[in-house]
Amino acid sequence: MEELVGKIWHRLVWGQSQVEFDSARVTLNDCIDQLAPYYRALGGDTGIQIEAATPRRFKIQRRFLQRLAGSHQYFSVSWQDQRSLRLPKSIALFPDAELNKYLYFWLAALAARRPTLNHWFGDNQQACLQLLQDYPGLKKRYASLAEATLVVRDQTLELEGDQLVREQAIRRAILSPGSERQLPLAPGSALPVPLWLYSQPIRLVCAAAEDHLVNAASDRKTDTQDLSEAGRKEATRIDDSRETDGLMVFQLESLFTWGEQVSLDRCQEEEMDDDLNTAAQDLDIISVSRQRRAGAAKVKFDLDLPAAENDDLPLGEGIRLPEWDYRKSKLVQDYCLLQPMLADNTEPAPLPDHLRGIARKLRHRFAILRPERQWLHRQASGEELDLAAYLDALTDPGAATDLNQTFKSRKAVARDLSCLLLADLSMSTDAALTQEQRVIDVIRDTLLLFAEALSGSGDQFAMYGFSSVKNKQVRYHLLKNFAESYSDHTRGRLLSIKPGFYTRMGAAVRQSTAVLKLQKTQQRLLLIVSDGKPNDIDQYEGRYGIEDTRQAIFEARAQGVQPFCVTVDDKASDYLPYLFGSQGYEVVSDAQRLPEMLPKLYLNLTGVAG
Amino acid sequence: MGNSINYIEQGGEVEIFKHAAANFLPVLIKGPTGCGKTRFVEAMAQRLNRPVYTIACHDDLTAADLVGRHLIGAEGTYWQDGPLTRAVREGAICYLDEVVEARKDTTVVLHPLADHRRILPLERTGELLQAHSDFMLVISYNPGYQNMLKGLKPSTRQRFVALSFDYPSKELETEIVCQEAGVEVELAQQLVLLAQALRRLKGHDLEEAASTRLLIYAAMMIKSGLPAKDACISCIAEPLTDEAETLGAICQLIDAHF
Repeated sequence: MEELVGKIWHRLVWGQSQVEFDSARVTLNDCIDQLAPYYRALGGDTGIQIEAATPRRFKIQRRFLQRLAGSHQYFSVSWQDQRSLRLPKSIALFPDAELNKYLYFWLAALAARRPTLNHWFGDNQQACLQLLQDYPGLKKRYASLAEATLVVRDQTLELEGDQLVREQAIRRAILSPGSERQLPLAPGSALPVPLWLYSQPIRLVCAAAEDHLVNAASDRKTDTQDLSEAGRKEATRIDDSRETDGLMVFQLESLFTWGEQVSLDRCQEEEMDDDLNTAAQDLDIISVSRQRRAGAAKVKFDLDLPAAENDDLPLGEGIRLPEWDYRKSKLVQDYCLLQPMLADNTEPAPLPDHLRGIARKLRHRFAILRPERQWLHRQASGEELDLAAYLDALTDPGAATDLNQTFKSRKAVARDLSCLLLADLSMSTDAALTQEQRVIDVIRDTLLLFAEALSGSGDQFAMYGFSSVKNKQVRYHLLKNFAESYSDHTRGRLLSIKPGFYTRMGAAVRQSTAVLKLQKTQQRLLLIVSDGKPNDIDQYEGRYGIEDTRQAIFEARAQGVQPFCVTVDDKASDYLPYLFGSQGYEVVSDAQRLPEMLPKLYLNLTGVAG
Repeated sequence: MGNSINYIEQGGEVEIFKHAAANFLPVLIKGPTGCGKTRFVEAMAQRLNRPVYTIACHDDLTAADLVGRHLIGAEGTYWQDGPLTRAVREGAICYLDEVVEARKDTTVVLHPLADHRRILPLERTGELLQAHSDFMLVISYNPGYQNMLKGLKPSTRQRFVALSFDYPSKELETEIVCQEAGVEVELAQQLVLLAQALRRLKGHDLEEAASTRLLIYAAMMIKSGLPAKDACISCIAEPLTDEAETLGAICQLIDAHF
């Protein structure tokens, strides 16, 4: 009964105080695919993501009903920092859905125009003014937005005195941006203007200070990675460096306690990670500590190799490969031991459901690569006369063509191309992209779709993955070689790839070159899918790794292999041009698009792109 | 062509071309699609008062298509010059457009013409042609495609004086659009602004940037009476992409500009 009454009361009071239009609600997810290119095209930074903003607290002058309902305390305002642009998770401000959607585009345009705000009132007006001047198409729509905004403000507010003066100034500024210079002072905050941007939330303690500590728990991102539903939280940095803070300030020995065993089912609460998530959702502000003890409690075991029975099947004794030492500028012979491996205990598997649709599309698109029937000239027999050959034979009897080979025939000619895809399976691919997806998942999808696409085209291809533990074991996983056909067995192997260890790229590139060289095709393409710099735990890091990889790429080129690198590393433009040349790589800044991008890139690279 | 081609210089290319012509050197022009490579060659041909033979290269282009072949006539076989041979004999500019599309072995026939020898051996007739003093070889390609299988051999590249083209600056492009399509400055400015917005999407959402040519098309359509938005959608947005989401974003952009 209490609950029922509560619900009715809530509906009554809350409903009375609400001025949102649920039927016209537009969510950020609906238009994010269009918003992102729109924002970039109008000058927004390409590295900036668009995500949902959390409601922020504003102390506005509320009406009685609003106070009664406890509403109008939190508002989703838009803001941006160097990392992302935060827009409201959904907008239902206006009765017209078109207008709500348009508000998103307006905010994106505004954010692209004015990445940082110094003065909220002035800068917003200036940016609006500039936008309206530059883009005449925006004028009409802005007018309707402004008008609708004022209607909403009328319905929401009941003000007098200073607050009214301030509100009137804001309204004038909305109607004709650039007209108001000063925001009149008044107690409390003004009702947020949905058409404007806000500065980033103020952090309480040393917000600007650099975080010098390496976060030992960075691998645990998966657990705490936010909560796309809830949007991002405000954070405050707390100062917990004083060790005397806390509950117990006296020695443990002197504390008298009395314990009693109570059987109580608390297993629910022991699910630490879930609990943290719900706790985080309940908090308005998350305090961030600089102490790393909690993070360090998780011990990493990834340096050890797995026990032999759990590991993939090693093939043969291993292959000795040289490595380039830039300090001596020479190849150190037989320095690396590369171990080809095969996952022998995988089950054949069909294509995962979520990839089916796109795989079908890709196969269709790649079917155009299938060998077309072409005219072969100067044949001894065929469907048509080869007049050119006949003429050559007549006019120049001494030349190579003789009168017997004067026919043309149509035959299917295979594309003279083989492609080896080399995937980076190092531990760094274990990093989380979103709550559900890690880099390795994206790489797995990429491999699967790539294989689907190429199996539709008839081009020869092979797939290998690599990781390394120092020079003694460069693990070179066979996923699909050139000889076998793409089947459920290979798919099972692709599905079973796991991240592990480090990235000794040079050795893997050398071995791939050797594999490709055995292919008797005219063109050999080595596609490398990677997520970061070459590195290993011995001297193979920084310049050493880069130089060795570069040397391996040179060697590959010299042997007629064309290397190309696709990476999801944002900082890749720092080192990839040096490794692959400015035309030899592609950075996919949105890793989740990699699975779709790679087949497209392949089409581009090999020449039949539409 | 009839009337004279009005070419607006981007930065020194006219002078370089003239010097190359005076020194009998071949020219290589790199640049994205629709930035004015062909227009430049035509304009230069007019200024130098030489005819121009343009060959659009494709992967089925054989050396015989350039040099010439025997044909059968009433009197038996006879030799027919190809466009390259004709240019060599008459003293014209031979312009090979999108030269990387041709197979690498085809472009090798250009080698003896492109260095100091300036000769064209006609294997099939046994002739050895010395190029006319007004003959000039010009080739062009778009380096942006990142195609591994195509590209010029270093030995071919190194025989040319190279010019790199890009889309003109805002002011120049406005001037060009005004002039080519005969539209008002304000309209041209909006179109150029739109193009600049779209060019920021290159590599991210679009494979190729919006070219000056597309702008001129759109301007011409608007000039002849089509509403600006429709013209931009059909002349700029649709030719650039097939992706529904990108198309939607571009339409929103067009809405913002007009």
